[in-house]
Amino acid sequence: MTDPHTVILEMTRIEAGHLADLVAQFSALLQDREASVGGAPSDPALARLVPDAYPDDAEAAREFRDLTETALLHRRAEDAATVLASIGVDTTKDASAADARTAHVVRLDPEQLNAWLRTLAALRLVLAIRLGIDDEDDHDEDDPRFGVYDWLGYRLEGLVHAAEA
Amino acid sequence: MSLTTPDIREDVEFDTSSDADRPWQTVVWNDPVNLMSYVVHVFRQYFGFSVEEATRLMLAVHHDGHAVVAEGPREQMELHTNAMHDYGLWATLRKAPR
Repeated sequence: MTDPHTVILEMTRIEAGHLADLVAQFSALLQDREASVGGAPSDPALARLVPDAYPDDAEAAREFRDLTETALLHRRAEDAATVLASIGVDTTKDASAADARTAHVVRLDPEQLNAWLRTLAALRLVLAIRLGIDDEDDHDEDDPRFGVYDWLGYRLEGLVHAAEA
Repeated sequence: MSLTTPDIREDVEFDTSSDADRPWQTVVWNDPVNLMSYVVHVFRQYFGFSVEEATRLMLAVHHDGHAVVAEGPREQMELHTNAMHDYGLWATLRKAPR
């Protein structure tokens, strides 16, 4: 019997593999920052994840950052680890072409679902910075990374609806 | 008049609009990335708002560029701001404008 609070997410094996790759890259980005916290991040993607809390008061912004940033990055890293563990894909093995389209089912309890929501939203923030998205209508059909961005949005939307159901 | 009674001036005027009296606010800013449905979900989950209130605030962020989502003591507003950052929302805090 399935717990009524469990959300079941169906994707293809290749989607799950790509997502696991993205989340692993995200974890690496967080780790780099955790190793060198101090001052506002120079990487704009990281700066977006830990924005200045006091835009008009540099001293208060620095104090807030000193008090909160390390713990926030740590929670992000835990979320990413939760997502990776629950995807259940072995990223060290390449899926064969025949395997790529097979269904891959992910079951998420409420806590895992929250980690997925926060992580997918954060991945989109990072990608949006890398893609230079300043406006909701910014889109380049020829750049495959926009496809990844849209796909993350599609998956996030689905999970939000599942969470609100 | 007793010598031990402090000399209290009765005519001190308190400026009710002074900085110390104004509460702090948590402000969420619009961004081109976060999904409307996600922002509503965050407001509901974290603040416990109704769908209507969460949607009203999300739309205010979207159309006006920002919205005040909470007001109160500074420490509490810092907690809220930090929580919004956990969700990936762009939040700041400020003193309530006069």
